[in-house]
Amino acid sequence: MNKYALFLGCTTPTQVLQYELASRWVCKYFGIELVDIEDFVCCGINQVNLSIEAGFLMAAMNLAYAESKELDVLTLCAACTGALAEAIERLKDEATRDKVNEKLQDVGLGYKGKVKVRHISRVLYEDVGIERIKKEVKKDLSNLRVAPHYGCHYLKPKSALGGFDEPDNPKSLHQLISATGAHPIEYETLNLCCGGKVFPISKDLVHSLVQKKLDNLMSKEVDAIVLQCQTCYLMYSDRQKEINEEYDKQYNLPVILYPQLLGLALGANGIKDLGFNLHTISTDKILTKITLS
Amino acid sequence: MSKPERTLEFKEPVSGAEFDRNFRSEVTAHPDARELNVCFSCGTCSAGCPIHEVFPEYNPKKLAKMVGLGMKKQVLSSPYIWYCTTCHNCEQRCPQNVKFFNVLNVLKNMAAKEGYAPPAWIEQTKQVMKTGLVFPTEEGWVKKREELMLPSLKLKGKAVKKIIELAGIAEIKPRTEPE
Repeated sequence: MNKYALFLGCTTPTQVLQYELASRWVCKYFGIELVDIEDFVCCGINQVNLSIEAGFLMAAMNLAYAESKELDVLTLCAACTGALAEAIERLKDEATRDKVNEKLQDVGLGYKGKVKVRHISRVLYEDVGIERIKKEVKKDLSNLRVAPHYGCHYLKPKSALGGFDEPDNPKSLHQLISATGAHPIEYETLNLCCGGKVFPISKDLVHSLVQKKLDNLMSKEVDAIVLQCQTCYLMYSDRQKEINEEYDKQYNLPVILYPQLLGLALGANGIKDLGFNLHTISTDKILTKITLS
Repeated sequence: MSKPERTLEFKEPVSGAEFDRNFRSEVTAHPDARELNVCFSCGTCSAGCPIHEVFPEYNPKKLAKMVGLGMKKQVLSSPYIWYCTTCHNCEQRCPQNVKFFNVLNVLKNMAAKEGYAPPAWIEQTKQVMKTGLVFPTEEGWVKKREELMLPSLKLKGKAVKKIIELAGIAEIKPRTEPE
């Protein structure tokens, strides 16, 4: 299927517009039709803190909206992917589904269990494929060395998201990066969590986690972090700036989203199509490096 | 709250007389926490926990043990249960298939009912009931979307407000923040 309901989530369409912009551009390029569903609400992942049922019902609402349009869901956020995929798993059980539908009925919804959810990177990896991406590359990115960051909910829990990559030894984003011509580096803190989900509770814990990865990457020759989730993005870019200001540090590592890297390789305009001008940490160094190549 | 609190370091011996023997079964009665019954305290959860690494006082194995012992009050009032980053490493690696991420959610739900929820999550839920998203409508991003010619977002919390009310958390009160 080449047509998906686009699930933007909360953070991308309000704080990380460059991710949305680049994702729409890349999907259009490969003929993936994205349908905007204006009824979509928050996926519920944070509501489980107060009530597992509330969060689960919110995920189910979104699945019901997509199902009513007979569409599968394409997500941009790793956490939304995890929340929706877990709900899909739980809703495979008929008794659970009946119980959920009793409540969804009160808001005029119902869910039959037909929807699938996939993250944009997974769609690119599985449907478009590495070989096709390689063939379409127009711009030489071979002098870029980047650090992949997967995002925890992209592959975990494995029970809901497994089958295409290994959470403890992931390779798919490395391959997607290689397909653009850029070089994914190997580094020790590859699987370290960005801390995004604890940010509303403790900024300090997040700062510690973010610094661990940044310190690790400072010892490497690397041009940028490439990631696939806007929450991870905000932790490594906006928190990086915050850490510089609060602890008198001088980190200066650009952070970009995978569709932006892919878009560059496919010949998109860095500003107009991919929003490179919207980054918190300037990406001019990368753009200059490519232009000079 | 910005700095993590250090509260679970017991300086004095704890007395078993204060423990609630039913606490473990209360927790494991929830299908999401059932597997906690077979935890044998190997510590794989703590070994792979990123928060434990930067803040050793946060210790999943210790929390699991406290649940087992029946330390209900200490667990539910502890700020630590809210420090999980939801990375799922503990669940991914547990040899006994305990989904500690889910166990924590069960504990957090119980704590929220008893008035221990951090204000941040309550505020976010209130926001979701207004707009359907965790963010308010700010002129900044609304305008930026227009400039970038991205479709405008319909912000309506009506249906989700009803769902949150049905789940019984619309009226939950936050805990008082320590100064």
